[in-house]
Amino acid sequence: MGMQGDFYQLLKEQGYQLGSSVAAGHGQEMTNATTILAFKYRDGVLVAGDRRATAGNMVMYDRTDKVLEIDRHSVMAIAGVPATAYEMVRILEHSFKYYRRTQLQELSFDGKLRSVSKLLKENVPAALAGTGAVVPVFAGYDMEQGSAKIYFYDILGAEFEGVEYAVSGSGSPTIRGILHYLNTWGEQPLNALPQEQAIVQALRLLTSAAEFDSATGGVNREASLYPVVKLITEAGVQTVPDATLKPLYESQVVRYV
Amino acid sequence: MYEEPYRWVEAVGNRRQYLDDQFKQGSPVVALTYEGGILLTTVSKGTPKLYEIYDRLALGGMGHPTDLEKLRFSLLEMAHVEGFSRSPSDVTGSRLVKYGIAPVIKQAFEEVYKAPFIVRILVAELGSKPEKDALLTINYDGTFEEATGCATLAATPTVQTKMLSYLKEQMRATQSLDQALDLALRAWAIGSLAHQEEEADQQTEAKPSANGGADSSTSATPSRDSLMAHVRKVAGERTIECAVLERQAPGSSKYRSLKQADLSQLLPKMFQSGVAN
Repeated sequence: MGMQGDFYQLLKEQGYQLGSSVAAGHGQEMTNATTILAFKYRDGVLVAGDRRATAGNMVMYDRTDKVLEIDRHSVMAIAGVPATAYEMVRILEHSFKYYRRTQLQELSFDGKLRSVSKLLKENVPAALAGTGAVVPVFAGYDMEQGSAKIYFYDILGAEFEGVEYAVSGSGSPTIRGILHYLNTWGEQPLNALPQEQAIVQALRLLTSAAEFDSATGGVNREASLYPVVKLITEAGVQTVPDATLKPLYESQVVRYV
Repeated sequence: MYEEPYRWVEAVGNRRQYLDDQFKQGSPVVALTYEGGILLTTVSKGTPKLYEIYDRLALGGMGHPTDLEKLRFSLLEMAHVEGFSRSPSDVTGSRLVKYGIAPVIKQAFEEVYKAPFIVRILVAELGSKPEKDALLTINYDGTFEEATGCATLAATPTVQTKMLSYLKEQMRATQSLDQALDLALRAWAIGSLAHQEEEADQQTEAKPSANGGADSSTSATPSRDSLMAHVRKVAGERTIECAVLERQAPGSSKYRSLKQADLSQLLPKMFQSGVAN
């Protein structure tokens, strides 16, 4: 028991089950669809996501937070069924804390990645049944190697390293091409962008996604609704406040108004 | 043979004697509140004695390292399962102690065929407001006490009382972290010295003059300088261990163990020069 430090195992021993593989009923629209993105910039990695949750053509909620801080140096952005995704984030958050507190050392970055894969694998039946598919992007700062890292997953739990950037969600095809273009032929590669420029690009990318994908929420200035943008550097995770996003959006994202 | 009530009472009595002996080599633990949260301090011989349990909970212990480990794990398990299945704010020190480990410790103590836990435990809980900070101590027989402001673990009840009365006398209404650390170390020294005295008295008990000696040694409180000198002497061969629960710390985890660099900034000047020498 002492060596394991495995919180998820502990939960299962107590009879916990992550998701149920009940098939989605006919005409039952699941909440999903979104746009999340992560790319490396000069000081670390930026992770951003829109705030809309939809079920079919219904907007369920316009203030969702899909970019969730798991610990001081890692963030998971979620696309897919929120019920399962939030549950996974809670498990991960407790798992990393539990590991650190029992083993008296931080779980390695690779160890954290494995925990995400493991949860997704456990969730395969629910994902295939259509009630619990989650396609996250996991980003963080690897303190041992001193570098920022981005990983993305398929619904079966396969893990891929996004060398410079990663995207997920229904709006992601639109911006994947833009990211590739920016990174290859832009004025400077993404990983050379200073913080402010990185935030501006993230806002522009999400605005583009919202332009072409009805399930991605754009910026709603009347309601002071801005996307969630988080920066992960050696110093830890930092949420960019709306007070910073607003002027950047107004001066460098909005055109012809 | 323990089925007979008298035998059982005798057996439990023997246990107490046996357990009391086990703490002779132990180092006292001091916990006290300061303006930014709660400070825990001890001087350890290698194995750490202060631990993080949950977002707002810290543990300090005396006794057998393996027993302490077992109980630390059950606290961690209970706290994390509760925090996950309900919410982090439902994880409270008093629930973990009163319904969690105290009954387990008591049962082990009274089952005279089995080994008891050789531990004394202190659980510190950082409240949402300073008034809600709580300190709980559990003895090897499962009895627990709740305190506010300050709490200690020591080898014997007499030593513990001495440390507590010193702390209560010296504590200010509000104190900064370095003031708290200074006081905690002095209280630790009170405990450590008082314990050495008790040991010495026991060894000389056979001699008729021992009683007179004991009386004179308990009366006067040692001076600040002599207390610090004692800490300095002991710290040479052992490690000063400090941890804080900080109300203003960013994120949900409020526990931080103080590193050597933090300590050298916080420790009183005279103490630093002593270390350098």
